[in-house]
Amino acid sequence: MTQTALTYQSIDDTVIDTLAPPDRNYWVVVALLFCGVLMGAVCWLYQIFTGIGVGGQNNPVHWGTYLINFVFWVGIAHSGTLISAILHLFRAGWRNPIARAAETMTVFAVCTAGLYPFIHLGRVWMVYYMLPIPNQRTLWPNFQSPLMFDVVAISTYLTVSSLFWYTGMLPDLAAIRDRATGLRRKVFAIISLGWTGEYEQWRHYTRGYLFFAALATPLVISVHSVVSWDFALGVVPGWHTTIFAPYFVAGAIHSGLAMVLTLMIPLRKIFHYEKIITVRVLESVAKTIVFTGLIVGFAYGTEVFIAWYSHNIVEMETFRWRMFGDYAVEYWIMVVCNTVIPLLFLIKPIRTHIKWLFVISIFVNIGMWYERFVIIIGSVAHDFLPYAWGLYRPTLVEFGIMIGSFCLFFFLFVLFVKHLPSVSMTEMKETLHEGGAHAD
Amino acid sequence: MDRRTFLKLAGMGSVAFAAGCNAHPEKHLYTLVRAPEDMVTGEATWYASTCRECPAGCGVLAKNREGRVVKLEGNPLHPVNQGKLCARGHAALQGLYHPDRIHAPLLKEKEAWRKISFDQALTIVQQKAHAAAASGPDRVAMLSEVTGRHLLDLFVSVLAGHRSTGPLIFEPFAYESLKFAHGQLFGRAELPGYHLDQADLIVGFGADFLETWLSPVEYSRKFKMMHAWDNGTKGFFAHVSAYQSLTAANADQWIMCRPGSEALVAMALIAQLLDDGVGRDLPGPFRVALMEASAGYRPAELAEKTGVAADTLRILAQRLQSARRPLVLPTAAASCGTASAAADLAVLMLHAILDPDFGLLDFDQRHRVEIAAPRAQINAFWQRLADRPVDLLLLNRVNPLYALPADLPVQKVLDDARCFTVAFASIMDETAAAADLIIPVQHPLESWDAYESKQAMTATLQPTLGRISPAPNIGDLFLNLLPDDRRPVGDYRHYLTERIARENDIDSPDQWLQLVQNGGRFVAGRSASKPVPRLEAAPVRTLAEVLDRLALPAKDKMVLQVASSLRFYDGRHADRPWLPEIPDPVSQVAWQTLAMVNSQVMAARGWQDGQEIQLATAHGKVVLQAYGHAGVHPELVVVPAGQGHTHMGRYAQGQGVNPVAVLGGQTDAQSGAPDYAAVIDRMDTAGGHAALAILSGSRIQYDRKIALSVPLEKASDRDRLEGLTMNDFPLTLPLPEGYDHSRDIYPPHDHDGYRWGMTVDLDRCIGCSACVAACYAENNLGIVGEARIIEGREMAWMRIERYQDPEDPTRMIFLPMMCQHCDNAPCESVCPVYAPHHSKEGLNNQIYNRCIGTRFCAQNCPYKVRRFNWFDWEWPEPLNLQLNPDVTVRSKGVMEKCSFCIQRIKAAHHQAKNESRDIRDGEVVPACVQSCPTDALIFGNLMDPNSAVRKKIEDPRAYQVMGYLNTKPAVIYLKKVVQKL
Repeated sequence: MTQTALTYQSIDDTVIDTLAPPDRNYWVVVALLFCGVLMGAVCWLYQIFTGIGVGGQNNPVHWGTYLINFVFWVGIAHSGTLISAILHLFRAGWRNPIARAAETMTVFAVCTAGLYPFIHLGRVWMVYYMLPIPNQRTLWPNFQSPLMFDVVAISTYLTVSSLFWYTGMLPDLAAIRDRATGLRRKVFAIISLGWTGEYEQWRHYTRGYLFFAALATPLVISVHSVVSWDFALGVVPGWHTTIFAPYFVAGAIHSGLAMVLTLMIPLRKIFHYEKIITVRVLESVAKTIVFTGLIVGFAYGTEVFIAWYSHNIVEMETFRWRMFGDYAVEYWIMVVCNTVIPLLFLIKPIRTHIKWLFVISIFVNIGMWYERFVIIIGSVAHDFLPYAWGLYRPTLVEFGIMIGSFCLFFFLFVLFVKHLPSVSMTEMKETLHEGGAHAD
Repeated sequence: MDRRTFLKLAGMGSVAFAAGCNAHPEKHLYTLVRAPEDMVTGEATWYASTCRECPAGCGVLAKNREGRVVKLEGNPLHPVNQGKLCARGHAALQGLYHPDRIHAPLLKEKEAWRKISFDQALTIVQQKAHAAAASGPDRVAMLSEVTGRHLLDLFVSVLAGHRSTGPLIFEPFAYESLKFAHGQLFGRAELPGYHLDQADLIVGFGADFLETWLSPVEYSRKFKMMHAWDNGTKGFFAHVSAYQSLTAANADQWIMCRPGSEALVAMALIAQLLDDGVGRDLPGPFRVALMEASAGYRPAELAEKTGVAADTLRILAQRLQSARRPLVLPTAAASCGTASAAADLAVLMLHAILDPDFGLLDFDQRHRVEIAAPRAQINAFWQRLADRPVDLLLLNRVNPLYALPADLPVQKVLDDARCFTVAFASIMDETAAAADLIIPVQHPLESWDAYESKQAMTATLQPTLGRISPAPNIGDLFLNLLPDDRRPVGDYRHYLTERIARENDIDSPDQWLQLVQNGGRFVAGRSASKPVPRLEAAPVRTLAEVLDRLALPAKDKMVLQVASSLRFYDGRHADRPWLPEIPDPVSQVAWQTLAMVNSQVMAARGWQDGQEIQLATAHGKVVLQAYGHAGVHPELVVVPAGQGHTHMGRYAQGQGVNPVAVLGGQTDAQSGAPDYAAVIDRMDTAGGHAALAILSGSRIQYDRKIALSVPLEKASDRDRLEGLTMNDFPLTLPLPEGYDHSRDIYPPHDHDGYRWGMTVDLDRCIGCSACVAACYAENNLGIVGEARIIEGREMAWMRIERYQDPEDPTRMIFLPMMCQHCDNAPCESVCPVYAPHHSKEGLNNQIYNRCIGTRFCAQNCPYKVRRFNWFDWEWPEPLNLQLNPDVTVRSKGVMEKCSFCIQRIKAAHHQAKNESRDIRDGEVVPACVQSCPTDALIFGNLMDPNSAVRKKIEDPRAYQVMGYLNTKPAVIYLKKVVQKL
């Protein structure tokens, strides 16, 4: 099969084969991940009943891993949309094999990210105060607050990316329906919404998909810009800078692309997608990572330069301390993992070698997590008032919730790959037709 | 399932879900069936009484709400504190409501306690006392804290009725050396009052009069009367000591001398002054004797021995000469045996040279603590008891087992089965735990009593709340111990009333009522008995003798000095959780006992703050955490007294270290002063680095325009600042006039008649933390404990920030920091639910039940004054009775912060509205402002051009902390005015 060219038939076979009834190992993995999710949930319940103090947040670091993970997962979400929407608009054919998985990653990452603001709240049971519900006390949310921007941005993003994901999947769902029997056929008959593949349907579908792509594209920029304003609209030195929006967007895409590699490489191996997700596709992702890594590196440099150039002693101290203070190790992990290590992708043998790709993608993921740590923790820990300076360290409960959230993400993803088509058959076939992506 | 059923079930489900998730508010309200006549629900009744937390005896007003005392404030009529109160005074309430308070007499049987009734307990004491009296004279002994005269007379007659003498008054800090010095020069071993306020130059030799010395609230106030910047003038305060106490940190010039060499410095000053021709009017023999005695103590010769440069001493002598009314003050409350005796006598001689009339000493207003027996007598008492046990030993609110060094036979006496020990105590402290019978007695706030804070006055105590404990007044217990024929009619209250009425010529109940309502009678007639100093050769000879006995420790030896504690005094207050929770202002460390070591010594040894070290003296060893401080002589280690209790309730037990354990019991031969210092034989590491419960993140302020000072010469200069940078940002008032189009995007706030604001005069702030304690009491702040403070979860709404001058780390500045109630509040804009809310009166209100706990406000607050409820804090019963009913108790998950005591503002509004007028200036007094002994804080309406706060802002020293952020804080600071010798 490896030497033969892709055909409509082989695409369908390869993809629908992945939906064959899973073996026991699969369910063991699912069960383990579910236990992880449960553990995270128990940690959260414990926190709700005991108080936020079970985490490591304190004076002055009132925001801890919960918001680090929030930003991290929102960031992960971004490159999914980048790949599925922006690259679709740009007609970059190499995105087709990974678009579905990337878009799925987006949806699940936004879901995971969306949990964190709830986990973070001191009184999560009062969260509905953030909803603009008319009430007798005439209380209204404060739309001046970046956190309200967040509510709007994240919920919009979740809605649009879910619809985009689902819309794109319709023809594939119908294809599965056509091959399925029994209960599965019934289920897929419902969720494929009566897709028959008529010309009219295809016409509406392609139009609709294009519009969704066009709608999702600004969201890639806006959502993470909004997330960055959680920080940039604060007065805290290290947060209050105009570079934050592009810096965060680039960082988000950087981390998302790395996560795409992290997910695709095992997926490709397990489901024998080598023909579909070719090394060339992965190489393209790696090249983009080099690009985003350079942007992020430029942003790091700019921040430090501006702090020095401003002659503002508070800014200068903040960045001096970032580089050489209590969290210097975290800072240099961030710099090395996000900007130095991805440069290895400039070397062709490395960016075309699966193991290298995988390992480096993990490093970028780690680096991007630490970037959020450095920004969120490192700025308030050492802000205006020296008397109030202090340090923060996550606790076991926070780690429990963090592991739980990772388990939730992978739990959803693992369920997805065995129950829904993880590669867009439709778009692969388009690619064949356009000749955009030949197998090597 | 049809549609209807689905809707029904869904509806029921959501209702059940919503109902099941409520926050369980208190469901029941109870009213009194028959309320006391003077009780109006929601309105406080104030009872005047006298604070008995330390021997100073300040007047207090106890605020009683619905039958329970919720707050103490100073009694403005009381001459000692004039309405102010220290942190320890505030914490008296926590002694009253301590959850581990003993409520029934406990009899020790086979090493276990058995509860008995008060009648049984009294019977036991009566029987024991009778038996003791029957077996011979002096078979009953008693040790008591300092008490009022009437109670003491009762003790004396009860003991006399049982053929015994006493009681002996035991105070760990009994000022033996000072009384000795006065005894030598005046022939009267007394403790006069000091008119600090009338001096223009004060040179202290260790007296920690801002912390514990004699009467700290009174002297803090008087000190700032002479020392605060006022219309271009400011008194000068120099302090000579081996370590920088809070008092020394408030000196314009702290002069570090070697441990125990204060006497030599005083002698050097005497020598220099006499050389300069001062004191020519002194009687010849006295002067000649002084010249002879001081001949060997010229500054130049002493530089080596004292560590003080000769030039410094010459300049100091110059200043003493040129001062209009110089005042020299003696050594610290915790004395150092012979060194203190020598120093106090030398200082008194210095005083005689400077002012032979001793015009600033007031022998009418003598401190009550002077009745305390010298330590030598206390030691002899225990030695006698060990050698020849008495049958009955009575201990009234004393804790000798904790406060006395271990080489005294206290434990032996208490363990002796032949001696039946009765402890009158309200908490199981070390001594009570070793007694045979504990009889709990009323807390002073529950008692009728009287106390002569100063000898010439009568201050009364009255019950300030209903009974929360069945414990009797100790006076009643002792009345019952009197023989029947000598027992007066009625109870202790009658006994007291009668005696006070007789002494004060009170003949009507009205007069008595007025006296009690005022908290005493304070118009003191001048007695003619001002002692005449004996300016003769004899006292000088004594001085020479003491100086001969004075042996400075060898230079290669380190010395341990135990200091009286601002928060715990001698240890009696360690069980009040507010006090350990509030950090020590100098070290900024809460809950822990530190060994303060010179920073350079720390560096030389490679120690970090928090290093666990072991100090071994000839008497024992202790392990504690080291903390580097430039204000400690390199040969000295300072450990504050007061912690390390093995008993004393949940808050004190096992917390910190008791340094008295490494002291010896020896006393000075002539003065009888104990030695709170000991030579350290070995000082080395004992384990690793332990986390400090430190509140301060940095000792210096990185030039960030936070706590500012200005040299005296420039204090009147007005800076014209109009820029936008950190260095030239102008003062921008949180009023429309503070709006500047070039700086502001948003228009100014409209305020409705009032814009509340505060000024903080850093020149007046001494860092005593009374305001912090007042805030804890007023605003129901949670106590988090040592572990949580290490985690950074302190809840104080107000704190005293300590910053050191990077050039000279012994120059410190204290900055009270609380919510700045900014006009451009960074916290307000970021909250998604409007929990921080800008009120019509400019207050930055935090609406607790609106808050969902995003904590963005705290992140965005440049002043870091917002406090989050990480948990539900606990007030174990009956500590909860202290909670202020006017202030919400916050639950977990919400943010809180200083509210400018909005409950008091609202109360003033109601009052003003009832009387159809505006709120008057000075009518709203937040708890911190009310408590401040030095009037560093002023609160009022910024919109009123005539308000005190507004006038204060006109001072050229006015600035806003980090004003360049353009937050327009309503808390306006006034720079500290600094001067050098």
